[in-house]
Amino acid sequence: MSSLRTEGLTKSFGGVLAVNGAAVELLDGKINGLIGPNGSGKTTFFNIVTGMIRPDSGRVLYRDREITRHSPHRIAHAGIGRTFQLCRVFPRLTVLENMLVAVRRTRLRELLAGLRDTGEVERARHWLRRMGIEHLEEAEARDLSYGQQKLLELAAVLMAEPDLVLLDEPAGGVNPALIDRIVSLVRDLNAEGRTFLVVEHNMDMVMGMCDHVIVFDRGAPIAQGPPAVIREDPRVLEAYLGV
Amino acid sequence: MNLLLQGLALGVLTGGLYALLASGLSLYFGVMRVVMVAHPAFLFLAAYLTYTVHTTLGVDPFLALPLTVPLFFALGVAVQRLLIARLAPENLAMMSVLLTFGIALTIEGLLGTFYTGSYKSVSMEYATRSLTIGGVHLPYDKIIAFGVAALTLAVLFAVLVKSRFGQALRATIQHREAARLVGIQTERVAGYGFGVGLATAAVGGTVLALITPFFPASHWVWIGKLMAIIVVGGLGSVVGAALAAILLGTVEGLVLVAVDATWATMMFYVFLFLTLLARPQGFFGGRLAHRF
Amino acid sequence: MRTVSRGLPLLVAALAIAYPWLAPNYYLVYAGALTVMYAAMSTSWNLLGGFTGYVSLGHSAFFGLGAYGTGLLVARLDLPWVLALAVSALLVTLFAVGVGIAAVRVRGASFVIVSLALVSMMNLIVQGWRSLTGGSTGLQVPSPFPDLHRGQTHMVFFYLFLALLGVALLAWWYISRSRFGAGLRAIREDEDKAESLGVPTGAYKVAAFALSALFVALAGGLYALWFGSLDPIFVFSILIASYMVLMSLLGGVRHLFGPLLGALIVAPAGEYFLIALGETQIHLTATGLVLVLVVLFMPDGILAKFTRKRAGPSIPDESADQRLQGVAP
Repeated sequence: MSSLRTEGLTKSFGGVLAVNGAAVELLDGKINGLIGPNGSGKTTFFNIVTGMIRPDSGRVLYRDREITRHSPHRIAHAGIGRTFQLCRVFPRLTVLENMLVAVRRTRLRELLAGLRDTGEVERARHWLRRMGIEHLEEAEARDLSYGQQKLLELAAVLMAEPDLVLLDEPAGGVNPALIDRIVSLVRDLNAEGRTFLVVEHNMDMVMGMCDHVIVFDRGAPIAQGPPAVIREDPRVLEAYLGV
Repeated sequence: MNLLLQGLALGVLTGGLYALLASGLSLYFGVMRVVMVAHPAFLFLAAYLTYTVHTTLGVDPFLALPLTVPLFFALGVAVQRLLIARLAPENLAMMSVLLTFGIALTIEGLLGTFYTGSYKSVSMEYATRSLTIGGVHLPYDKIIAFGVAALTLAVLFAVLVKSRFGQALRATIQHREAARLVGIQTERVAGYGFGVGLATAAVGGTVLALITPFFPASHWVWIGKLMAIIVVGGLGSVVGAALAAILLGTVEGLVLVAVDATWATMMFYVFLFLTLLARPQGFFGGRLAHRF
Repeated sequence: MRTVSRGLPLLVAALAIAYPWLAPNYYLVYAGALTVMYAAMSTSWNLLGGFTGYVSLGHSAFFGLGAYGTGLLVARLDLPWVLALAVSALLVTLFAVGVGIAAVRVRGASFVIVSLALVSMMNLIVQGWRSLTGGSTGLQVPSPFPDLHRGQTHMVFFYLFLALLGVALLAWWYISRSRFGAGLRAIREDEDKAESLGVPTGAYKVAAFALSALFVALAGGLYALWFGSLDPIFVFSILIASYMVLMSLLGGVRHLFGPLLGALIVAPAGEYFLIALGETQIHLTATGLVLVLVVLFMPDGILAKFTRKRAGPSIPDESADQRLQGVAP
């Protein structure tokens, strides 16, 4: 079954062509990476796929169903979760409350259900334990360190049980020990059946972790393939060094 | 047909005044991301002051301007530095609305207490006559209003575009951090920007006193109208506000002669809601809108 | 401390129920009923403001519509008052859904502006269509309890408003403990983030908007039946709208009893000023000044000072990592 696929995605801002006919295909069940120099259109592409921006033309398909121009919450319901480049949590909610925001389906009965619904709380605690921050359950999210917030953000996304997880620069602003921990987590979560797309600048992380790498330059992918091949591709080297 | 031309002409003239009044509002928003709900209240404060000057000193209301303009400029700086600047940046948009709303209530209460609730107006002999061109009557007071508004707007644009202060102000609007980095004292500039905004209110208030009767609660109608103008024009865009002002003024003028006064005012709200439904960021510019 | 916090609401509730019998004269019963009415309206307002952070300065539009709806149904169509109240509230809520769908397309201060425009529009309409709204003398609404004298009517409506307050508090409490409430709070904290987690933010906001309009409309309807005479200038006034905001803000928007506390402070004070200073407009100034002071110096409200959450332990990254790797910190 195909995972996420885009066809001819195009977006301009004023006179600037940010994304130019991007055709991308993620490998289902794998850890996909998206790299490219600054200004290559990665972030815009990412925001289009996650429903934050509308493309001028083109399509986004997930599992062969069209999700172009769907609002972010419909995309979440389709099974796609995402983290943010500058880690976003709900600052004045507690860690546990942060975990209980995610909505899997909009059924009235579920929505009116009490927050203390033990099933959900247990699931939340399970994820917090996996991330190693279960002891911070009652703390307000804004009191956490940046690294802890990153883990919380990922845990909250996983509560919605996405099949595809999009990580936006997960290694940004985080110390090396935590990067290793994140890589390890991603591998485990992937082994459990989740597909990943990781947008990153950290080359070591991408090459070491990803099964399939997509390289963006000037608004479109210039190369897609396994890390070993990408590393040697002359177009990639030119894009990164020629700028 | 003549009636429609009449409505059109009046509408355009009034639109010029609206443009002046709305430009101040755009300025506050651009400089400080503050929605200055109290702007119309200050307009009428100026109108009442003009009235007082006119009735106690017996002079032409425009002679009140040398008094009111510097006073309001100072008031604007004071409001910004002493009140607005104290607000925490995270909730600024909302808290500034509540703060300025409180200021508007305060002003209205004071006006009602000192002047009572009855309608006041200022009329000058020369202003009650009309100029007639091709069957269309253009009242002198509206022509004067348009003229003063256009002149003030021209001065405002000149200051914004040509002067160093104007440059600093525009830099602060576009990117506060960057402005600071090049040495602009953004705190002071913001204060002066606010002052300029209220100074335009002083001019607008004097003009308003001349063309329409007013009472303490008049400002609420103007909040609706001015907000509609800057939403249609695009938040943060002074040019957008001016264009939207002419458009809505014209529509109002036409509907006024074609239907009635209630519907004429209603048009502002219709345009407001339609803009929100169709294009919330406004029609004539204002890239700041989506951050709002 | 626990017994105090459990006991206090019960004590206040008991006092509230006994109040009309304890009050020395009917004027105070009237003032009490007015206070409870404002408390119910502010709590209702806070269903939107407190949870989502969307501040409406125009909620008196719903008060006025509820009042006129109920009044017209009773006066012109001879409906029994309970039915008129219910139908009017339902219609106003449906209207609120429609308005809400447009209004929540904008955020923050734009939304506030829209709410102001709404109530301004209502004012314009009722003043323009005087034939419908009873002309300059206002609409006369026959009392549902014609056999009672005024003082007794005050007592009855005290309890009716108290019941409304109870329902509003219950709704607020229930939502604050539900997934819906968690979603609303997430909207307040970070709306885009909430949407990316699957929260249908548009629908949630409209639901909160409509719900907040419902109880305010009911309060308006009860007001119409109580006072018997409706003046459009008053029921659609900005003053009522600003009271709702001020009371909630003063008491604390993030607390169940915040609006109630705010009402207990502001409503009697307003009544007092009205009597002491007469019909001048100075009470507008007083309201405005208090609002300015609250915004500047205590935007979180009074109750926030009493219920500060314990700041959670902030453990540095290193020991968190050690935990993760099973190493003792």
